[in-house]
Amino acid sequence: MPKKGGKFFLNRLFFILSLPLLVTLASCQLSKKSTRLIVASSGKITSLDPAQASTFDALQLLSALGDPLYKINKEGTLEGVLAKELPVISENGRIISIPLRDDVFFHDGTPFNSMAMAFSLKRFMKIGRLNYLLDGRIKSIETPSPYELRINLTRPSASFEGLLTSINLTPISPIAYSSYNNKFLNDKFIGTGPYRLASFSRQKIRLEPNKSYWGKSVNNNGIEFIKLSNSTALFGALRTGEIDVLMSNSLDEDQHLALHEMARARKIREGEGSPLEIGYITFNSNLYPLNNKLVRQGLLYSFDRNLIVERVSYGLRKPLYSMVPPLVSLHNEQTWPSYDPIRAKELFREAGYCGEKKLRIPFTFRSNVPADKLLALTWQAQLNRDLSECLEITLEGVESITVYKQLGKGAFTSVMLDWRGAYPHAEAYLTPFLSCKKSNGSFCSEGESAASGSFWTNNQIKRILQLSDRTLGEERNGLLKSAEKGAANGASYLPVWLVTPRAWAQNELEKPEFDTNGHLKLSRLRAIENE
Amino acid sequence: MSRGLTLFRYSLTRLALAPVMLWLVSSLVFLLLRIAPGDPVDAVLGNRASSSAREALREKLGLDQPLWNQYIEFIKDLFHGDLGSALINEESVSKIISISLPATIELAFFSLILAIFLGFIVGFSGVAFPNRKLDFLGRIYGIGTYALPPFWAAMMVQLLFGVYLGWFPVGGRFPPTLLPPEGSGFYVLDSIRTANWPALQGSLRHLVLPASTLGLLLSGIFSRALRLNLSRTLDSGYIQAARSRGLREERVIIRHALPNALLPVLTITGITIASLVGGALLVELTFSWPGIALRLQEAINQRDYPVVQGIVVVIASLVVLISLFVDILVAMIDPRISY
Repeated sequence: MPKKGGKFFLNRLFFILSLPLLVTLASCQLSKKSTRLIVASSGKITSLDPAQASTFDALQLLSALGDPLYKINKEGTLEGVLAKELPVISENGRIISIPLRDDVFFHDGTPFNSMAMAFSLKRFMKIGRLNYLLDGRIKSIETPSPYELRINLTRPSASFEGLLTSINLTPISPIAYSSYNNKFLNDKFIGTGPYRLASFSRQKIRLEPNKSYWGKSVNNNGIEFIKLSNSTALFGALRTGEIDVLMSNSLDEDQHLALHEMARARKIREGEGSPLEIGYITFNSNLYPLNNKLVRQGLLYSFDRNLIVERVSYGLRKPLYSMVPPLVSLHNEQTWPSYDPIRAKELFREAGYCGEKKLRIPFTFRSNVPADKLLALTWQAQLNRDLSECLEITLEGVESITVYKQLGKGAFTSVMLDWRGAYPHAEAYLTPFLSCKKSNGSFCSEGESAASGSFWTNNQIKRILQLSDRTLGEERNGLLKSAEKGAANGASYLPVWLVTPRAWAQNELEKPEFDTNGHLKLSRLRAIENE
Repeated sequence: MSRGLTLFRYSLTRLALAPVMLWLVSSLVFLLLRIAPGDPVDAVLGNRASSSAREALREKLGLDQPLWNQYIEFIKDLFHGDLGSALINEESVSKIISISLPATIELAFFSLILAIFLGFIVGFSGVAFPNRKLDFLGRIYGIGTYALPPFWAAMMVQLLFGVYLGWFPVGGRFPPTLLPPEGSGFYVLDSIRTANWPALQGSLRHLVLPASTLGLLLSGIFSRALRLNLSRTLDSGYIQAARSRGLREERVIIRHALPNALLPVLTITGITIASLVGGALLVELTFSWPGIALRLQEAINQRDYPVVQGIVVVIASLVVLISLFVDILVAMIDPRISY
């Protein structure tokens, strides 16, 4: 064997091929950080066109780049942003007049006025991906004066005010979007917000302060909004100081806990927003054995939220006993029952189960949502422990898009889902589950109830919901409250938990703040030494 | 017929068959995507929208058309070189590919360099010191790196060098605080071309972990192939004859043994390049590397049919071309190969 020649050759090869390695090592020196803040998230942002944006992160960015007409303040009431005053509603409830601010300019320097607002609304109605939220309520839009917008409705709608807080309806410059009246402009945004969009790519979005902003100027020199594709990378990037702020959506529960602990140990700062996202289970009231109301009610009592929430999220999610999050709830009562295995057994027995005839229910969870899988496994184990003689659930993991596709077709007996209302109002958490256009007895064949997979309705709730959209104030709240109680009694949904939006910042920054829509206030982020 | 002419005819035949193969691949992808449950409407609207809103969007995206019509439109556009636009945001598929492909090729290039470097070092050391400790360790290295699950290796590398030691960025392709260099989309090349040294440093720092992981995982196969082929060649009669003629050992290895031993390695390199062009999904996913595989995965999740179809067609074309190139190269080097 060529021992000597081999050694010689090896030495040379080492020398030649080590060069790239040396170059790489030389680049290990950490690069200098810029004065902009780096905010990271794992969400997908494919477009910043308000007519197209639908993901949470895209809406988060739009809320920094644009302004809504109104917002819901901490007291839960409507407050003008681009609107100068509260909307004036005509006596018949079909005309809404909105006075607009006259000191606002778009990022391209053109003035914001009623024409621009009308252009933006009409464009959203025409091409908006979420235009179904308007539900055909707008008949026409008029501009009686440069700073007054008039919306004519097809029918009186109390919930329309809530829709005016949606960031999807943020105004855009008619001049900049003149060629995009019928199509999307994904990588640019010309709005009125505290930031202007400097550059857009799937991996990084750069926001620069809007120096001529009409409102409070931003607290930082700009934002680099980056996307990292997995939870470990996000966690590691915050730990190593590569990023300044981390947003919590789609972070694994273990890492949530680790960051929470780090914040408690004062290694980082943690900010919490108002929880507006709910997790819930839909029971298909049209499928055996859940077509029996007693079985559905038994299931409500069989679910140990405290245990499940603790095991799945280490207590970072909050148990939920209503379909309406507390922030927008209209009362302080507990609407859905607490865990009570004895009562559950009674109901299952009454329904003819337990002992020899055991109830077997398929439970579907979204296989690409880690928390759902943990919930399913924990609930299954909890039932084996507490109610094994009466009830057993069989688990089935299905990818979320398949779940959404099949949900309205009644493919799932019981399925875990989540929900965030289009605007922060109780109505946005009730109507999408309970309204029904066509029904036969308690079976809803067409409408939101069918689309949500429960197919449950009753005439009283249908009447209440229709009436509530034509009523205002306390009377409306009372109607919605009774609709919620009716839903709890119908037992076709089981509210599970509340998801609190969180963000973590390095200690050099102030604690992150959230708005009432659960969006991180990027403009309020600032370094402590800047004070 | 001369050998050159035969090779030319063979290349032409392969090239002529390429469109047929691409048609088969694209038709298969078209069909499989439609069979998969869910469609872009479900991805865009989630579980929020009513059935009427779903139907309206389905109609707008042309998904309400019969499958046959959709297929004819797709093939017609493909024939004209039009890959269409994304259903999710109407972005041109060609643009999506032109942004993601350079990232993948850059990662593949550096990974391959590293894989060859490590593979050759380990392979040569095995040949130089056969049946010694070094050779034994080299063989374990070869099998071990080949057998390592990529997602596990990538996460370990990321945790150790990115999170705990903090030597390198945990993810991404470029420092967020810098502007990427303008040009071809190959950041290292563009940085050098524009003499943008901070950008070069940033690009290299971000390349280290994903390229090292991929390089490490691929190096095993190179070390095994080289060691096996070089040992076999060095035992062959013509090498013994060269030695007996008194040629220097270095010359024997470099001029006589290595070219023959490298032929199978060249074939392996070709296959490896072809597979890397399609992206290394798990590595791209772990390190948030915005390459073609990551984009493909996103498009599949969103059921964005035109993006998936476009990416698959482009990858398949590149694989065909690379395979053909390697075959021709091997045939030119090795006169024993006939077609």
